[in-house]
Amino acid sequence: MKHVLKLLSLLVVISALWIGLLQASIIPQSHTWLLPIYFIVSLGCYGLLMVGVGLMRFPTCPEEALLLQQDIAEAKDFLKQKGVDVGSD
Amino acid sequence: MELADRAVGFLLTFTSLSIFTYYTFWVIILPFVDSDNFIHNYFLPQEYAILIPVCAGVVLLSLLCIFIGLVLLKSKKKKA
Repeated sequence: MKHVLKLLSLLVVISALWIGLLQASIIPQSHTWLLPIYFIVSLGCYGLLMVGVGLMRFPTCPEEALLLQQDIAEAKDFLKQKGVDVGSD
Repeated sequence: MELADRAVGFLLTFTSLSIFTYYTFWVIILPFVDSDNFIHNYFLPQEYAILIPVCAGVVLLSLLCIFIGLVLLKSKKKKA
């Protein structure tokens, strides 16, 4: 519940800033009307960017993958000796 | 394979950066440029700058609702 309240208060602050900017007319009014949509689009873009960057830098750990395969083979042998059929190959 | 992952990641970053720069140009820089400059030929009229994101958002929301509805229906059918 508290996280939602934090988000809501942030939203209220941003909309208050936007209405204040509309009234004060520092930037031409047509510009100010477009600002919320611009921020939403840029937020979506930022999310996509983070996903892409994370995908590019994802580590694959090849040595650990090899060790894992060895562990799996060892476990299968052990279970087959004890009589349990693991049977995926 | 990690090369495919890296290619997809690069594609995503490239798309997002290009969309961001294009949209920034469209909304922020273009209104300050004179209306008979050549650069206006590369950008659609300004009404589309609002229409396209709104339409995309509506499509996204409806797809999300359809997906949730399908999952709920499938779970109800499985229970019955």
